Amino acid sequence: MLYQMSRNTFLQRFALLILALGLGMVILACAGQPLAPQAPTAPTAQPPAAQATSAPAATSATSSNQPVKLTIWSGYPEMEPWYKEVTDAYTKEHPNVTFEILTFPLRDYEQKLSATIPSDTAADIIEVSSFVAKFVDAGLIPPAPDKIAEWNNAPGRYDAAIVKDLTYNGKQYAVPLFYGSTALYYNKKDFADAGLTKPPETFDELMDDAQKLTQRDASGNITVAGHGFRLFGAGSGVAEKFLFYLWPAGGDIIVPVGDKWKEGYNNDAGRWALKYYIDALYKYKVDDPKLKRDAEGFELGQSATFFRESWVIGDIKKNAPTLDYSTAPVPKGPKRWGHIIAGEDLFVTRTAKNPDVAWDFILFAVQPQYMQDLLRNVGWLPSRHDVDYGPVLKDNPQFAGFVFSDPNYQAYMTPAIPVFDEVETKMAERLIQLYTDASLLDNPDGIAKAVADMAAETNSILDKAGVLAK
Amino acid sequence: MDVLKPQASIQERWSDALAHRFHINRFQLSKLLFVYLSLLPILALFAFLRLVPITSSFQLSFFQSNLINPANKFIGLDNFQELLQDKLFILAIRNTTLFAIAGVLFSILIALGLAVLLAKRSRLGGLYETIYFLPVITPWVAVSVIWKWIYDPSYGLLNYILSWFGIKPIGWLIDPNIALIAVIILAVWKSIGYNMIILLVGIRDIPEVYYEAAQLDGANGWGLFRYITLPLLRPILLFVAIVSTINAYNVFTPVYIMTTGSQGAQGNAVRTLVFDIYENAFRYFKWGYASAEAVSLFLIVLLLTIIQFRLGRSSESV
Amino acid sequence: MKQAATLARPTSSNVPVLRIGAHLILLFGAIIMVLPFLWIIATSLKPPPEVIAFPPTFIPKEPTFNNFVEVFQRAPFPRFFLNSLIVSTIATVSVVFTSTLAGYVFAKYQFPGRNLLFLLVLATAMVPFETYMIPLYLEMKQVSLINTYPALVAPELIMSFGIFLMRQTIIASLPDELLDAARIDGASEWRIFRQIVIPLMSSAMGALAIFAFLSSWGAFIWPLLITSSRDLWTMELGLGMFQFRFTVDYGPIAAGSLISLLPILLVFLVLRRNIIRGITLTGLKG
Repeated sequence: MLYQMSRNTFLQRFALLILALGLGMVILACAGQPLAPQAPTAPTAQPPAAQATSAPAATSATSSNQPVKLTIWSGYPEMEPWYKEVTDAYTKEHPNVTFEILTFPLRDYEQKLSATIPSDTAADIIEVSSFVAKFVDAGLIPPAPDKIAEWNNAPGRYDAAIVKDLTYNGKQYAVPLFYGSTALYYNKKDFADAGLTKPPETFDELMDDAQKLTQRDASGNITVAGHGFRLFGAGSGVAEKFLFYLWPAGGDIIVPVGDKWKEGYNNDAGRWALKYYIDALYKYKVDDPKLKRDAEGFELGQSATFFRESWVIGDIKKNAPTLDYSTAPVPKGPKRWGHIIAGEDLFVTRTAKNPDVAWDFILFAVQPQYMQDLLRNVGWLPSRHDVDYGPVLKDNPQFAGFVFSDPNYQAYMTPAIPVFDEVETKMAERLIQLYTDASLLDNPDGIAKAVADMAAETNSILDKAGVLAK
Repeated sequence: MDVLKPQASIQERWSDALAHRFHINRFQLSKLLFVYLSLLPILALFAFLRLVPITSSFQLSFFQSNLINPANKFIGLDNFQELLQDKLFILAIRNTTLFAIAGVLFSILIALGLAVLLAKRSRLGGLYETIYFLPVITPWVAVSVIWKWIYDPSYGLLNYILSWFGIKPIGWLIDPNIALIAVIILAVWKSIGYNMIILLVGIRDIPEVYYEAAQLDGANGWGLFRYITLPLLRPILLFVAIVSTINAYNVFTPVYIMTTGSQGAQGNAVRTLVFDIYENAFRYFKWGYASAEAVSLFLIVLLLTIIQFRLGRSSESV
Repeated sequence: MKQAATLARPTSSNVPVLRIGAHLILLFGAIIMVLPFLWIIATSLKPPPEVIAFPPTFIPKEPTFNNFVEVFQRAPFPRFFLNSLIVSTIATVSVVFTSTLAGYVFAKYQFPGRNLLFLLVLATAMVPFETYMIPLYLEMKQVSLINTYPALVAPELIMSFGIFLMRQTIIASLPDELLDAARIDGASEWRIFRQIVIPLMSSAMGALAIFAFLSSWGAFIWPLLITSSRDLWTMELGLGMFQFRFTVDYGPIAAGSLISLLPILLVFLVLRRNIIRGITLTGLKG
């Protein structure tokens, strides 16, 4: 009508390229992918009855011929290959069972759960942490069958804290899958250069070592931090990492009093922990906010030590394969010795049409060989302790700090109450400010006041939520 | 009444009769019918996809709710009262307003300048158009990596360039006073292309004849811009201003991106309204409270929009 | 005509110093605009250790196509691409059509409640989507549309800003006389819309199409919510599979993002020529 098609050769060629790409996509989409292994489809003909496998629990559904489709959701996309491996293996043994696995970034996953669980449109199996507590409270998740509790309670199989985390009103709701734990990452080359032969065993030693490990350039700027602290970032991370120093000193973010709670750090422990940070930043100067921190900082060689979970090991293998490092257990604090853990467990939702098959699969998935694969390939720590991880550890000795066990080395978790997130987040915001306050150096009154103010806010949040112990 | 052709068809006579019933003429009837028939399906979609869920969510603001547990407690205006005393909410309003004022102003000014420069069609101009539009389509993951690098205190591009002028390194994301400016720069950067395209549409739609006539009267570049382009661009400028304001008040992604992770900025320094709402809703599950906050955000933006419409009224055919 | 066109627009082309200055600024700005885009291209070809190099590099030392391979192996990305294409095309057509029609009605017709209705439409854009997405999800459940294509594309079918944009451009550049003249000639309202409004608004419709396509292609949280089967996943959801708990798998995400960018870029380049056209009002004035 009013315009004609122009003839720009570049545009033509580009359009042709896109067309070709699009056509290629369409063809690939319609023909199925030759590159990726296909999940076998459920045959409509009668398959032979599946034999009971080495899975610990025998079920009736698996020996039936009905096609069963199980959907699994996870908030950890890095787990996808593992789920694929395990579901493929299960389908091989039970050809009538097929799976659909969906993984999402965690924050969006939690939003999805918030919409789907109350509306009964969630998957059959969901992998989730104590985030699920509010749904259990509202009666939206059914408890697990008794045989699951039997399984979980077997001595030496799972940490008591982990099992307690999935127990609500005396009933157990899930099977533990993997957990995050903390250890001290340390750069072996930096240690050798500083003349240190072994990782620190107490927090005081850590501070001493950090001073020896800190490297500076000609103008006095720090180029390698002796110890990388978590100093900023939105959310509750800063407070969560603060707890790594608070707990060994004998403190806690909140402590239970009967069935209520109150702050647990307006005491020597809280003051000690804050002083630790302030001294590290302003007295001994072992860290610099301008350097990169966390896994990135460690991989780039900008910090010699730091605390983190086990996923960093897989990250380092990929991004910094030549890094000479290892992990050590969290050092002993003035009062306690232990590491934080946070579990991810497998639940079956109430909309599952074949819950018995679902639970059967879950028990199948936690067999020793798959637990080893989880550790080896994904890097999160499998929750099962009654498995021999020797072969994996031989190839990956860096897991040392995570598989360390000692009767006196305790495992602690953060409480699963809904308001805890708010407590931690508000605390994190305050801490970020406090870390920038150089006036707190050698200022016990200042530190005491700062901690007291922060604790008062924690209590007021608990109060507003109606769970403050009076 | 009617400017009729000699013989009215059956259709026209029926329309006349119907129109006469409502005391309007046939033209008006056909116009009204057109309006209702076109708008009805579109409005129905709006009702289903927006109005109903929004109302449902606004309703929650009068309750104490965690969204999951159906047992909601009606608490009237308590959420709003609490909001007024919430330091974080006030902080979020302050930050978002600063962000909106600075962001909208700079984004429009720069986009307008670009649109004027690129209005004349040319090969190079076309290339620049595409390049300046690229940030709009660049995915946030790339934007986040590059801008976190640009803002890095030690190795960042920005501090490097500033060092040429002898300016000491600035902690762009670390310094709470500067972090907001850093996010504003990022948001402006990402939105310039969008505004530029719209202003280009507006400028290029201005008929040549006006410029030719003005030039015959002796007007020069600046005069042309001020007396021809700007006035005729008014409805488009109004669009750009209002839409940019609404988007600015709803900002979330750049703030979230720049604060997540251990290298991120401090949350409170750049706390904006939607960020605060998100935290209350999806971290703390205080849904009644978060809804009240959303209602407040809505009212603020509605007020600003109405004000902007009034200010731009003289060019409206309303 | 052409010569007049070059002189008529108020540009800085008449003042040489300004012209060079303008070019320098444009050039400098262009570099900043393009950096992340260059990073995506470079990173899609980098092996993992190079990906986290800091400061980020723009030329891979050991380029590899592994990232692209990994993208296709991880999940059925061609299917995701197709889904995105279907959804975005439908959304774009719908938005352009509904916005032009509604924008035209709001701009050129008087009827009771018009301004209020328009404000209502605009007001729906003032509420952040994440605020009402769960009620919307529950609505979809009530009409049994969970995990279906219609539900996937539904929120993208209409755009308040689209209606607003068309309204403003129509007010700015569509003379009433033109419409009245057509009515006098006996054209129906619908015919006027089809044969006068649409052709004249093609420029703005082009711009709107770009934005509608962009918005629907990049939708993430709604597709995430509404789908429970991978068959319906879009590119954005697929890319989310490379966002791990604490890290991002930059190589594959860059590769996937690059593939995802291409249709958008194409839509932009094609429609941009449309925007160049502008309105030719031959024979309308005078």
